[in-house]
Amino acid sequence: MAASLLASMRRIARGMAVPVGSVIFAFVVGGVIVAVTGGDPFAAYQGLVCGGFGLICSGGENPALQLSNAIVFTTPLLMTGVAVALPFRAGLFNIGAEGQLLVGSIACVAIGTQFSTLPAPILLPMVLLGGALAGAFWAGIAGVLKATVGAHEVVTTIMLNYVAQWLMRFLIVGGPLQAPHGFSASASIGSGARLPTLLPQDNSLIIFGLPSSVFRVHAGLFIALAAVALFAFVLWRTPLGYEIRATGQSQRAARYAGVSVPRTIIVTMLIAGAFAGLSGAVQIAGVDHNLTDKYFSDTTGFDAIAVTLLGLGSGVGIILAAILFGALHAGGAVMQSDAGISGNLVLVLQALILFSIAANFLSTLKFRIPRLSRAP
Amino acid sequence: MGLSRLRYLGVAALTLALLAGCGGTAAPPAKVYNIGLVTDIGGLNDKSFNYLANLGLERAKAEFKFKSSVIESKSGDDYVPNLTNFASKNYDLVIAVGFLMQQAVGTVSGQFPNVHFAIIDGAGTDAKFNDLKHSNVQSLYFKEQDAGAMVGALAGLLEKQGKAVKNKHVIGAVGGISIPPVDHYIAGYKWAALQYDPMVKVLIGYSNDFQDPAKCKGVATNQIAGNADILFQVAGGCGLGVLQAAGQAHVYSIGVDADQKDADPSVIASALKKVDVSTYTAIKNVVTGNFQGGALTFSIANDGAGYAIDNFPGGLPADIKTELDSFAAKIKAGTLTPPADIPK
Repeated sequence: MAASLLASMRRIARGMAVPVGSVIFAFVVGGVIVAVTGGDPFAAYQGLVCGGFGLICSGGENPALQLSNAIVFTTPLLMTGVAVALPFRAGLFNIGAEGQLLVGSIACVAIGTQFSTLPAPILLPMVLLGGALAGAFWAGIAGVLKATVGAHEVVTTIMLNYVAQWLMRFLIVGGPLQAPHGFSASASIGSGARLPTLLPQDNSLIIFGLPSSVFRVHAGLFIALAAVALFAFVLWRTPLGYEIRATGQSQRAARYAGVSVPRTIIVTMLIAGAFAGLSGAVQIAGVDHNLTDKYFSDTTGFDAIAVTLLGLGSGVGIILAAILFGALHAGGAVMQSDAGISGNLVLVLQALILFSIAANFLSTLKFRIPRLSRAP
Repeated sequence: MGLSRLRYLGVAALTLALLAGCGGTAAPPAKVYNIGLVTDIGGLNDKSFNYLANLGLERAKAEFKFKSSVIESKSGDDYVPNLTNFASKNYDLVIAVGFLMQQAVGTVSGQFPNVHFAIIDGAGTDAKFNDLKHSNVQSLYFKEQDAGAMVGALAGLLEKQGKAVKNKHVIGAVGGISIPPVDHYIAGYKWAALQYDPMVKVLIGYSNDFQDPAKCKGVATNQIAGNADILFQVAGGCGLGVLQAAGQAHVYSIGVDADQKDADPSVIASALKKVDVSTYTAIKNVVTGNFQGGALTFSIANDGAGYAIDNFPGGLPADIKTELDSFAAKIKAGTLTPPADIPK
């Protein structure tokens, strides 16, 4: 009993070595970069920790506010993380989470503005489901193309990202979704389509020393956590999950075991797209309430790739990695205002984390090559 | 042991120093103001609004000695948290750069009625872009038509005198999206060009974009094909494509907002929106206790708008320079008023 516990702990520790090592590597190198460019790395990281987790703040920041901001940034990363991780398990690289997220947010806005007078019990499920379906459709295109004619999903999903981006641009810049007044933004969704925030949106109610409306954490957090749990359940406890993993490890073996590989590929992409589309719908329903030109430069779906790689494609890993990336995003601003270090350091850290994980992949490749060359 | 004793000594010394300090200063310390600046996604090195706003902040800081802090927004998701960051720390003034932050300023200024806000080119609005008219928000607007009129006058004069490239009395303007600040520029440009050259035809096109130079290049190329030989870009980063297209076709171009003569050799002039002046003024109002909610408009009359004409190949002829000076003086005096709407 004790021995098996010890063994499983050792297994977990070994599994965590690569991601934790990557993060430590990134922070050490990032610290050196800060020091070399004349900054104080400790002040920089203090700002990051303050902004990301509400701890050890020195500039008079409100810890609850910082935590709330970090959670708001973490929420979409959880769902898009799943949208990348599930295909990853099936051996597919979904670069298109961003595009799927965008069509999800478009669907949410289209439904939420069209039927804005409906009550929440009807409209809220409609916009969330609409977002998920739109995302599923978008990813499904890439899935069908892969399963039928073998078009590589990396290429098709990247291209579909552009299609989604320009579709949204068309819709809100002079298109049918544009709000009056000639701005590049859509109208707001009806109040029935909005996800409630955990604290009331009231400017006069003071909670944690600030008006409660500044805390933007919304019910989407629970949807996101449920999405990750569902992902883990489907992957490890259902026949579909078995088919996905079998397809990912060896398509030939999967076929031999009676798995329909094309069907698995399509279903996987449909589910992944649904998660990404849901993420876009939740972002609209919970935070933004309308599409604006900020979605032109949104990068959530790309950050999700890093989250998945860092989280090694597991449910718990995705949660931990999403928390880290959400905290980095929220912390960058505090780091800049308190320590005077450009918030771009956050992008450097994210890139370094990705880099070192990719480098670890390389090292496993290297182990394989000599073995191949030794074969007769 | 020795270390802890040292530490006690340090604490004692510090206490003494503090006591001495207290004895020395009789008067209460003057209030130290905290001013925060939030850039839009362009960042501080955009050579435009954000850069100029920071320039104004630095100038004011040198003069009024306050504490300042800058946060660059990495994405549109950051506007609300970044503004809230400063507001929750009870800053005396939070400056938001650019109309992209209108909604965010509207939200946060409602949450913090005791914090002053200033926003370049916009107001604190709701999601429908209606001005919420919060008394703690100052809008820093510009009469873009003033600056547009100056470069329009230059274009008209060049066409009239045959000093442009093709001299077919056709000039162009490429806007980003048809929003008020963009249309004000174009309105002044067309109006003034017609003042000096009644025969001139002004081609106006929109790229529906503020970021992608390729889109603006396409619009500009069409205008050049239509014989335009002076192109005015009013499209931010996208407009760099206009300057490049003009450079490749060997015609003239006119920059916008900041002096863009370094962006492309084809730039002969720039219409200036002096965001630095407006930022400086907003800060000055706060530290001198003269903050007022509502709109503050910057124009040629208060040096908040202007023009740069020092990049004409071989130098601008003296008579054109004199004419522009007197034109500016007339706008300044109010005898000439460039229109805000594009003339038909």
